[in-house]
Amino acid sequence: MTEKKEYQVTDIAGRLAKGFLRNPLTAVLGVFLLIMGYLALNTMPREEDPQIAISGGAIIVAMPGATPKEIENIIVKPLERKLREVRGIEHVYGMAMDNVGIVNVMYYIGENREDSNLKLYDKVMQNMDSMPKGVMQPLIKPFDIDIDIPIITVAFYLKDSKNVDDVKLFETVRKVQQKINAVDAVAKTTLKGSRKAQYNIEVDMGKLSAYHLSLGQIMQAVQSVAVDVPEVKGRTQNNKLIIFGVNNAIESVEDVGSVIVAQYMGSPIYLRDVAVVTSGLDIQNFQTAKIHFKKDANDSTVGEELNQITMTVAKLAGTNAVFVAEDVVEVLKGYEAEFAKEGVGYLITRNYGERANEAVNELMHHLLITIVIIALMLVFALGWRESIIVTFSVPAILAVTLFTAWMTGQTMNRITLFALLLSLGLLVDAAIIVIENIHRHLHSHGVEDKEMGELLIEATDEIGAPTNVATLAIILTMVPMAFVGGMMGSFMKPIPYNVPVALVASLFVAYIFTPYLSLKLLKKPEHKHEHTKGVDDE
Amino acid sequence: MSKLEGFIYSILDKKSKKTLVVSLTIAAFFASLMMFPTMMVLAKMLPGKSANTFSIYVDTPTGSSIEETKQMSSCVIDFLKKEKEILNIELFLGQGIPLDYAGLVKGASMKRTENVSEISVNLTDKHHRDEASFLMVKRLRPLIENACTPKLPGTNIKFIEQPSGPPTLASIVVEVHGENLEKLRTLSTDVAQILSKTEGLVDIDIMADEIFTKYELVPDSEKIARSGLSVKQVNNILYLAFEGMVIAHKNSRNSPDQIDMFLVLDKSSKTLASQEKDALLSKLSSLNLMNMKGMMVPLSEVVKLRKVKSHPMIMHKDLSRMINVIAETEMISQLYPLLDARKVMLEYFSKEYDVEKEAGITTYMFDLHLTDKKTGEKFLLRWDGEMKVSLDTFRDLGGAFISALILIFLLLVIYYKSYAIAGIVLLGSFLSLIGVIVGHWVANWFTTDTFFLTATSLIGFIALIGISSRNSLLLIDFAKSLMEFHGMEKRKAIAVAAATRAKPIALTAVAIILGSALLASDPVFGGLGVALISGTVAAVFVSLFFVPVLMDNSKAMDFDRVHDEEHDSISITK
Repeated sequence: MTEKKEYQVTDIAGRLAKGFLRNPLTAVLGVFLLIMGYLALNTMPREEDPQIAISGGAIIVAMPGATPKEIENIIVKPLERKLREVRGIEHVYGMAMDNVGIVNVMYYIGENREDSNLKLYDKVMQNMDSMPKGVMQPLIKPFDIDIDIPIITVAFYLKDSKNVDDVKLFETVRKVQQKINAVDAVAKTTLKGSRKAQYNIEVDMGKLSAYHLSLGQIMQAVQSVAVDVPEVKGRTQNNKLIIFGVNNAIESVEDVGSVIVAQYMGSPIYLRDVAVVTSGLDIQNFQTAKIHFKKDANDSTVGEELNQITMTVAKLAGTNAVFVAEDVVEVLKGYEAEFAKEGVGYLITRNYGERANEAVNELMHHLLITIVIIALMLVFALGWRESIIVTFSVPAILAVTLFTAWMTGQTMNRITLFALLLSLGLLVDAAIIVIENIHRHLHSHGVEDKEMGELLIEATDEIGAPTNVATLAIILTMVPMAFVGGMMGSFMKPIPYNVPVALVASLFVAYIFTPYLSLKLLKKPEHKHEHTKGVDDE
Repeated sequence: MSKLEGFIYSILDKKSKKTLVVSLTIAAFFASLMMFPTMMVLAKMLPGKSANTFSIYVDTPTGSSIEETKQMSSCVIDFLKKEKEILNIELFLGQGIPLDYAGLVKGASMKRTENVSEISVNLTDKHHRDEASFLMVKRLRPLIENACTPKLPGTNIKFIEQPSGPPTLASIVVEVHGENLEKLRTLSTDVAQILSKTEGLVDIDIMADEIFTKYELVPDSEKIARSGLSVKQVNNILYLAFEGMVIAHKNSRNSPDQIDMFLVLDKSSKTLASQEKDALLSKLSSLNLMNMKGMMVPLSEVVKLRKVKSHPMIMHKDLSRMINVIAETEMISQLYPLLDARKVMLEYFSKEYDVEKEAGITTYMFDLHLTDKKTGEKFLLRWDGEMKVSLDTFRDLGGAFISALILIFLLLVIYYKSYAIAGIVLLGSFLSLIGVIVGHWVANWFTTDTFFLTATSLIGFIALIGISSRNSLLLIDFAKSLMEFHGMEKRKAIAVAAATRAKPIALTAVAIILGSALLASDPVFGGLGVALISGTVAAVFVSLFFVPVLMDNSKAMDFDRVHDEEHDSISITK
């Protein structure tokens, strides 16, 4: 560098610009930032809505035969009083019904879930001694959103209900469930609307009285034969083991019908004489599920009602919904041949993974369009070289922001991306202000006497102080938002978390890369003055 | 640029023009504020978003059978089947649909009785569908409710849309608190009546069990003892006969689960002729119990039959008895129907009760305290649900906004060491509110349904404060340097600063506007987009015309020339 009267750097902006201007590592740093951002973009867990830490739980206490008022007085009220002692509970809801009392607690939004569950359990257990007599063991069920909200639901139905029955459908689905649960990061799977196989013994009351029998006798008769016992070991004289066991007397539904219920006038009365014994479905279960769907996408309306079993699949907290959903769909695809053979069809009725991916991709798309529009605008306002410089700063800033978000355990969701979209307009500002000032300096008096590098540092340094203060002002507006409570506060959290990071990043990128790239891309305008030294004076 | 410079200078030079700018700004500010009471701009926490799915909850009266529930659900599905845009319909009887965000707070996972069912509807992709899901729901709701509800009076059919923000129990929740259970029921019925007559409210439901008739079997303990039976035996047999019981299992090699053996009376034996007492009694007389001596005793001999009312569930919230009355809003903000309904309530309840409004401004400020004129019993009507969440959010965001203002003010005072300059910057940024409100009014013209001022608009506004203070800041900084290092006259310096800074101010503004343009089309973040776009436009005008006037009038802006050529860093464009 030629020694001249050097410009005195006054601000951090100038210092950064000076430090990185001719540093060979600046380019490496830029590439490194972009790679980090790319990695974060592809590996960060994606979901549609941000995680809201809702903690709470239900305590269910059964007391058979008690009326709501009794339950209220001896179970609900004392329990509610005790739960008031727990810190962090916002609301306590009590429900006193016939035979059972339920107390639901809701913690303040944002309370630590594990701690909350533990506190709840602890409080109930501590007071077990004051439980009234005749009350059954209380059940404590904490809410768990990650585990409870399925990301995928699949409806299985029978294509041809004549050949296969609901029991067969259930057996098939149960087999698939086992495999789905084996998929990485899958948490809870449940079946809704499943019908289990059952032997139904439907007794005719008229015949019962005719044979002079009671229901209790029938119950005892069946129970006495339907027993499973472990095998017993016997020994021979030369100490060899002989293993033998009593088989369950009931092997098939016919065996149930052949159970002898009583002797009447010397001849046996079989169960099938007084009851209809069938191998069928669990008739007492009223929780069934049906489905109507379009057989062909071009059908104008949905088809007829079919019985179905819905399998719900939830994922573990903090895992990528997109990947889990893809894996589950993969497993289902693998079963397609078997399904076709058995006449079972399936339909994915909910796929949050796909939805999250779509939402995220759509917003990424918006982000790109916006960057292009801003770049175009800058071409007209400042020139294409300047536009390129500013446009480069955008991915660099976004990369830093995404990487920081990833490192701090956030997920990529709608709100995170909105925070990025929102900050997009703000974060090009710093770069625009710097480049505009450089542009202005390059076209001002006395530029000919100055060396390019020094001029860049000076231009950057000059607007440093007001830009810092202005950016700090915007950051300060975002900070109080982090303290907004309630559901909405938690929902919006990604905005106060990410916008300040993006803004700080925008300052650093503007001070480091804008002068660096300007040095590479911009030239001092060739002026009429003869004593122009040119830029290649290094 | 010199044109702008001349224009600003001409404003600053004439007192009348300065007054005009100030008064125009003040007029615009109050005119925009007036858009709230005149309802030109409506406020809501979050607007609806078009989704690819919605669900329907069918609740038949407590004590209805699963067959009745199935019949009602089929009625609903028959209507849905005609819709072209529906891909599939799932019906879950006696249980909730697989849990979703809406169901989480609405208690869908707790459903396991015969009188409930839920229907989940999947629609075609929203990008290829003309009708938004919330418009479809709006169209179908009256059709279905008018056709199906009369089939079984007391049935409640609710349409549940996916919330665009955090889920709540319902848009409007009125908690009726009080100790007297009877009165609580009548009060909640009255509240439900009023809500159902309020325009804009739909799906009104009292979250309490209906009272139905049931029979109580009173065991005659003496007779039971004498005939050699036990009460437990009586209970078991009754349960076994009518409900059935799993009496044994069989492990199977081929079946994935154990096979149960289920014992129950066959259908013809257990079906009663009618709901009358005699029918039940005759059935019981044919059900025999065997005593210890092997003799048969008809069940009707050892019990007495009594007709009673069922015991409805008692709900508590925060240790006081209450009943929830809930309602959904249809495409409008909850605030306006709430105020309408509250007005009617004030009048209606004042006949029997002394009605007191909640004192002070809290997020419970719409609550009504009722005192029975005769008995002196106290009741409380509390507004909760989305309304409460909205108020809490607006309160918190308001607080965040005020703290943001204070923080910026302090920052500026530190930077400029002058209260007046900090005040100018802050006032300038606050005025971007004009743009925000007017922007929503304009946006309302271009959208088919109402464009609400939402919580996201407020977030946009808070961000704007920072952005527009940046404009003023750069302006003041530049003018200050011009005066200090070039010894420029104050007015001239301000005009030059405004003209020179106009370009970066406009550039950054255009960047923000373009950046937010795509945001504006989003249902949830539309408010934020519109707030940023229109607020930025207002901020540009405010910082280029209004702020210079304030700067000129402020004594704090009088800077003397500093003779320090070293720091003469301002280069003026050729």
